[in-house]
Amino acid sequence: MRQHLIELVRFSTYAELRTERERSYLGLVWWVAEPAMMMATFWLLFGVILKTGGPDYVPFLLVGLTVWQWIRSCITHAGYAIWTNLGLIRQVKLPLAVFPLTQMLADTVKFFYIFALLLVVLWLMGYPPNWAYLALPLVFVVVFLFAAGIGFLMAATVPFVPDLRFVIEQVLTVAMFLSGVVFALDQVKEPLRSILALNPVAELLAASRGILMHGQWPDWIALGRVTVISAVVCAFGLWIVVRMTPRYPKLAS
Amino acid sequence: MTRANRPMSDDVLVELDHVGVAFNAQRRLSAGKFWALEDVSLKLRRGERLGVIGRNGAGKSTLLRVLAGILVPDRGIVRRTPASCQLLALALGFLPNLTGRDNAILSGLMLGLRQREIVARMPAIAEFSELGDFLDQPISTYSSGMTMRLAFSVAIQIEPDVLLIDEVLAVGDAEFQEKSGTALRERMRQGHTVVLVSHNEKELAKLCDRLLWIEHGKSMLEGSRDEVFAAYHGDLHLVGSPPSGAI
Repeated sequence: MRQHLIELVRFSTYAELRTERERSYLGLVWWVAEPAMMMATFWLLFGVILKTGGPDYVPFLLVGLTVWQWIRSCITHAGYAIWTNLGLIRQVKLPLAVFPLTQMLADTVKFFYIFALLLVVLWLMGYPPNWAYLALPLVFVVVFLFAAGIGFLMAATVPFVPDLRFVIEQVLTVAMFLSGVVFALDQVKEPLRSILALNPVAELLAASRGILMHGQWPDWIALGRVTVISAVVCAFGLWIVVRMTPRYPKLAS
Repeated sequence: MTRANRPMSDDVLVELDHVGVAFNAQRRLSAGKFWALEDVSLKLRRGERLGVIGRNGAGKSTLLRVLAGILVPDRGIVRRTPASCQLLALALGFLPNLTGRDNAILSGLMLGLRQREIVARMPAIAEFSELGDFLDQPISTYSSGMTMRLAFSVAIQIEPDVLLIDEVLAVGDAEFQEKSGTALRERMRQGHTVVLVSHNEKELAKLCDRLLWIEHGKSMLEGSRDEVFAAYHGDLHLVGSPPSGAI
């Protein structure tokens, strides 16, 4: 049973990436070109025109956007995953977490392509590889746990309230600014600053930037706290999906 | 609620005890409930071929989905042994940009087969679907007949303990209908446990040894083929034209 599910998730992920590649002329190129174009937009706006940050601003922005884009696509794609498969869910009994998980794994594969490009860009800009890179896998696991938790929650909710999908994008845009993706949060005044610092994404971005730009090891205590929060969010999201499972086959699509 | 607490007699695979399933009528905050199944009881034994008859909207398809474990009843009890119950679903999970071969694997996995089992049966799928070299083309290039041939060839590979069939005895053009109908009848005669929903009484008479008659979500009679047919026809004759209504 478990073996079978692993095969199903693995092959569905492959199928998802494969069809996405077949859907456009340039296929694979877009996985990297699309986020690169978005980063260029932000860089032009905040780096060149508004002259927001100091000398480190461009790598600061690139790292932030790369990781954020991964989280964002996981959440939006997972949110649609059960809703768009309601027809299938009415015909076959499957653990429903398979659908959002497949989407998020596909997004993770795409993230690795973009991340490889980011590394090259950072090296060219004078931020060489360093030993703190060894902490990156741990940081990424925690990022995935957190994104997956929110993703499962959205996947469970959207079929009941499809209207939510008009709201998700806007909420995520606000969340992006509040997570310190575009601006550093140390310009924010207390007590708001401490409240914003509770957001796991802010801490995870700080850790990623420390590693990639300054060769700094993460703040282990802060990372530990964020790991616990993310694991709890992920477990809660999964639990909701399992809990709601009997109700989806009865929903009108 | 759906798990077996009480031991069942050896050969009963699934037992429904006064089962009812309700749907919300509309996507509204205060929608009323609609009972697609009200009160159905049945015992499905190993090796049995059970036919389900009843007019449109009687709840036959809903019943199959309860047996498959997809719908959880809102009242009554389902007792089941660990036996797997699978609805014969065509083109499950098919993606248009994927090749026929990849779609066969994806669909087979969703129907509960292991990947190596599907790969091992790929020659049989290729032969039965008559797709030849098209198997490695994306199915968006297929005609609808070709897609249905592939879908049927994959679905017929599944081997659950209980096979649930909802009116898909024949698909495709006349020639393939003949072929797919024969293959399915062959599968049913091999001693599998089957539940078959059909409007085709001739088909039911040929393939099933027992029948369940349901009406307005209630089981009217379960018994031998001839006994149930007799009662059903008597009732049809009394009532006259069947009531309208959709599931």
